[in-house]
Amino acid sequence: MANASENKTIGSVMVVGAGVAGIQASLDMANAGYYVHLVDNSPSIGGLMAQLDKTFPTNDCAMCVISPFLVEVGRHLNINIISNSELETLEGEAGAFRATLRNNPRYIDAEKCTACGQCRDVCPVTAVNEFDCNLDLRKATYIKYPQAVPLAYKIDRNTCIGCGMCEKVCLAQAIFYDDKVRQTTIEVGAVVLAMGNDVFNPSAFDTYNYANHPNVVTSLEFERILSASGPYKGHLMRPYDRQIPEKIAWMQCVGSRDINRADNSYCSSVCYMYSIKQTLIAKEHAEMPLDTAVFYMDMRTYGKEFDKYYMRAQDGGVRFIRSRVHTIEPAGDGDLKIRYVRESGELEEETFNMVVLAVGLTPSKDAEALAKRIGIDLNAHRYAKTNDLSPVSTSRKGVYVCGTFQGPKDIPQSVMEASAAAAQATQNLSEARWTLTRTKELPPEKDFSGQEPRIGVFVCNCGINIGGVADVPAVREYARTLPNVIHVEDNLFTCSQDTQENIKKVIVEKGINRVVVASCSPRTHEPLFQETIRETGLNRYLFEMANIRDQNTWVHMHNPERATAKAKDLVRMAVAKAAYVEPLQQVILEVKPAVLVVGGGVAGMEAALGVARQGYQAYLVERSNLLGGVAHQLRLTWQGEAVAPYLKELIENVQNHERIQVFLETEVTHTTGTIGNFITTIVSKNGSQKTAVLEHGAAILATGGKEYKPTEYLYGKHPNVLTHFDLDQAITEESGTLKNAKMAVFIQCVGSRTAERPYCSRVCCTHSLKSALTLKKMNPEMKIFIVYRDIRSYGFREDLYKEAREKGVQFVRYDPENPPNLTSDEQNNLSLTVKDHILQRPLEIKPDIVILAAAILANENKKFFEIFKVPTNSDGFLVEAHAKLRPVDFGSEGLFLAGLAHYPKSLDESIAQARAAVSRTMNIVSKKGILVGGVVAAVNSDRCAACLTCVRTCPYHIPRIGEEGYAIIEPAECHGCGICVSECPGKAISLQHFTDEQINAKTDALFSAA
Amino acid sequence: MIVADRKSLNEILDMVKNYNKILVVGCKGCVTVCNVGGLKEVQVLAASLKIGRKKEERPLEVDEKILERQCDPEYIEQLKDVVDNYDAVVSMACGVGPQFLSEAYPNQKFFPAVNTTFYGGAVSHGIWEERCAGCGSCIIHYFDGLCPIARCSKSLLNGTCGGSDRGKCEISKDVDCIWDKIVKKKIAQGRLDDLLPITPAKDWRTARDGGPRKARREELIQNG
Repeated sequence: MANASENKTIGSVMVVGAGVAGIQASLDMANAGYYVHLVDNSPSIGGLMAQLDKTFPTNDCAMCVISPFLVEVGRHLNINIISNSELETLEGEAGAFRATLRNNPRYIDAEKCTACGQCRDVCPVTAVNEFDCNLDLRKATYIKYPQAVPLAYKIDRNTCIGCGMCEKVCLAQAIFYDDKVRQTTIEVGAVVLAMGNDVFNPSAFDTYNYANHPNVVTSLEFERILSASGPYKGHLMRPYDRQIPEKIAWMQCVGSRDINRADNSYCSSVCYMYSIKQTLIAKEHAEMPLDTAVFYMDMRTYGKEFDKYYMRAQDGGVRFIRSRVHTIEPAGDGDLKIRYVRESGELEEETFNMVVLAVGLTPSKDAEALAKRIGIDLNAHRYAKTNDLSPVSTSRKGVYVCGTFQGPKDIPQSVMEASAAAAQATQNLSEARWTLTRTKELPPEKDFSGQEPRIGVFVCNCGINIGGVADVPAVREYARTLPNVIHVEDNLFTCSQDTQENIKKVIVEKGINRVVVASCSPRTHEPLFQETIRETGLNRYLFEMANIRDQNTWVHMHNPERATAKAKDLVRMAVAKAAYVEPLQQVILEVKPAVLVVGGGVAGMEAALGVARQGYQAYLVERSNLLGGVAHQLRLTWQGEAVAPYLKELIENVQNHERIQVFLETEVTHTTGTIGNFITTIVSKNGSQKTAVLEHGAAILATGGKEYKPTEYLYGKHPNVLTHFDLDQAITEESGTLKNAKMAVFIQCVGSRTAERPYCSRVCCTHSLKSALTLKKMNPEMKIFIVYRDIRSYGFREDLYKEAREKGVQFVRYDPENPPNLTSDEQNNLSLTVKDHILQRPLEIKPDIVILAAAILANENKKFFEIFKVPTNSDGFLVEAHAKLRPVDFGSEGLFLAGLAHYPKSLDESIAQARAAVSRTMNIVSKKGILVGGVVAAVNSDRCAACLTCVRTCPYHIPRIGEEGYAIIEPAECHGCGICVSECPGKAISLQHFTDEQINAKTDALFSAA
Repeated sequence: MIVADRKSLNEILDMVKNYNKILVVGCKGCVTVCNVGGLKEVQVLAASLKIGRKKEERPLEVDEKILERQCDPEYIEQLKDVVDNYDAVVSMACGVGPQFLSEAYPNQKFFPAVNTTFYGGAVSHGIWEERCAGCGSCIIHYFDGLCPIARCSKSLLNGTCGGSDRGKCEISKDVDCIWDKIVKKKIAQGRLDDLLPITPAKDWRTARDGGPRKARREELIQNG
């Protein structure tokens, strides 16, 4: 790496923490032209998410969705993973930092280690497995989990007895007992902190008996219990006696919303959803009917599709009991007794087989210490301090934060912030973009067309992983007998650096035009071998792999003869397919270095400004005659920052930026093209009908939302019934009605969580709390009631709830079956009746003003969404590509979303998402060209019956029926999943590299045993 | 389009039980679109028949073919060079296909692999519904585009009948009462009065009741 001279902007960045947020930030920056150093104190990347079983609300397997990201980071030419290391000091300033790292010894050379696992097999030491939350054991030489990246073992010298066995058996000579702590320095232009969080340790809660009773487990322990790769291999059992529980209780808010025992006053934001998920997954795992009960205070299912998930659990028989339990007592035989108070006031006693404590998130001690070392301000809760209007900036310039080190949050919010931090971190580095990144120079591809297949087969011993079970020389000699094979050999480690060089040499010497490697999993190693053969001029698709380790010698280790026979079968199949594989050409399409942003609210403006500040042209299209959207009606952010001055400055910046072109009173009428190359027509609606055609590489849709105009509770009929926006305006205008009011009532969930709109509008509880506190400040004597269903003040917003209670705001809960009733008499006096849940009697309040916490709706844009072919959910909000890991992307490549059009969210969250969208577009427009093609679907138009089957079954909405009357699948957009191929009734579609001919050759080979 | 449903494998195996070499012919028309008789289904059926017969240890030789349509003689003619190479031919087209084939090749034996069910369309992927009964004299404009002939279980012209229950037909809760829909649509459009006159009995001679039908378009018929 080049050394940066004084005052020169450095084109590399450092990400500290390699959980899901750090990974996303690294990928975004590396793909946008920066060299990334990814530092983590763990031996492998992946963070907390790798430990989870499933993720809500889609119930996707956590490891399955994060694993491709781990592999991508591990193989990225421009991401340098520095594992097992800590950031010690950070000198310098934004643009040119000098970071000193402490590299802790691993005692195994990660470069040499092939993860064969011999060292683990011979290790005589037994230690507790922290990855499995101490529910299982491991050896002193270990790897956290099989999908770990870097895929290399580590020796835990705290438990190691130094017997030297591992060193003796390691054929890769990777054991390095004398490894020492080292110190290294790196120079970077910006820093992103993504150190994540710890989970709360409930050992000190003696009343919960966690420390004393094995059947009281934390939610993270329960994740491992449910996990198929966990200590019980996915079998639902309780730790004490490995019995299958029939009754499980979940205790919410353990270590959250508690200043009595836990010292964490905030809400951990994620525990309700993960508990609901755990009840559903546990029920799936249980063979017998499983009784699940969740003891909770407020059901905080405030995110996208969360309330529907909650309802699904209720329909599935999960019991939700609103009660905070004080004590969990042992009841003999490993069971646990719980006493709780029903809402009607009766005391109940129930015995459960197992109790899960829904533990909250806490700031990580290491992260806290690091923040102090490098001079980052923390907030009162010991998380990184940020402002709502600059949600990913820390107190130190050039240092940004994302994920749960900034505050408790779920995965999609962390991923959004990670992209936002990536955008912010690189914003001032654009002059150094692509200066420190590496590229690989490749020779031109050779043309083998018309040549007979000449196949080379390389069989790996994988140390003794394969060779110790199967007879590798026999497999090698068998391969020699197969058709078209002109070269065979076996290697100790086919993946080692020297073997790669040897493979290249042999390919050239013998004129090999197809390569087969029989070794481990293509998941981790196929790209490596493809790269190797590509370096000799062979197209990367002239390659086939046979997995004779993971799917053979590992699972049949006690049956060597049959393992050898199976290895032969697998090699025969791979060779048969290899004879039919064809080179696939990927073409480079030029990219239009501009971004279209639709919607001129805060999200749209932040997006346009972000793009412009990154050095690219932005087109901002707004259908009204005014920039700013609904933010004009908002007075304060939830932390109390004034919106109006921010908005004024933002509008000015957007209007004055040389690289932003603003089109007011303009609508999009047509768009064509694909990622990197869109052509969009816009028409001015101010009477002129002026048309413009814009060329852009990506688009951000930020079409916004609005406040619901209630039809309930006399809204519009009585002057003193207001919505939040009305109240904000009244406060700004210092209205007399407010000054004279002696009593105010807020009614929550007006238009939200109803049959018509079964979602939570997320922001209204916080808005009501904030406004109630403002009213209290204006007039401390004012009596204020908040009539609610659940108070959903997630994260640090809980502070507002606490403060409101302290200031005397009264909270009255109602059931949807008995909603409050608001009437007005002849003198226009308001009267509200609501059944109080404690008194179990109707309560009559005579308020002077009533504020309705009205729902947030997505703006109606049906026609516009159809133009871009982007999907909406049943509530009218745009649907992202993946609810967890791609929260800013659409399924269609090159299109992104931000703001209220995605889901109701607060201003800070909208800003973060807009900046995240900027980062995602930089992955496209900062590149000169993008590679298109490869493993994608191809349509044979003669066979196409235009039946629409592909259009209807594609999960990414890519195929369309073209004007010529047959299906068109753009190679630039196709994800290569093959679903349309298997569904096409006319056999008109084939998946490149997985054609019928190739697959049939493989299966024919399988069944034609030699 | 014409919607069809594949016969069970056992039924088809039984049809061809006496033969050792057959041809399966698909159709690129309606049956491809309704995912019943296109090239994919031809290959699936061919493979299934082979497996079925292999299990009986009486291997069956099966060739696969797809025609543009099996309701035009020109396409049917494309089989002329190969049709006699087989003991029998299985058609995956609608009921028209095996008949056109039989007429063109009187010496060969043809079998239908599908049951032709109705004229309809896919309301979503995998779900088809009947919309037309082919009665020969269309009256849907009187009923706002909803056909009581095809969609009322009794083909009533003056509904609803007493079997209409909360929008469903008495024959099954899965069947909508089309008359309920007709009345609701008329109310929504403010034209309920349209239903006051009694619709007279329909002349069914244009439908199947008048015997097999034929359409002649004199201007299209070429001399000679």
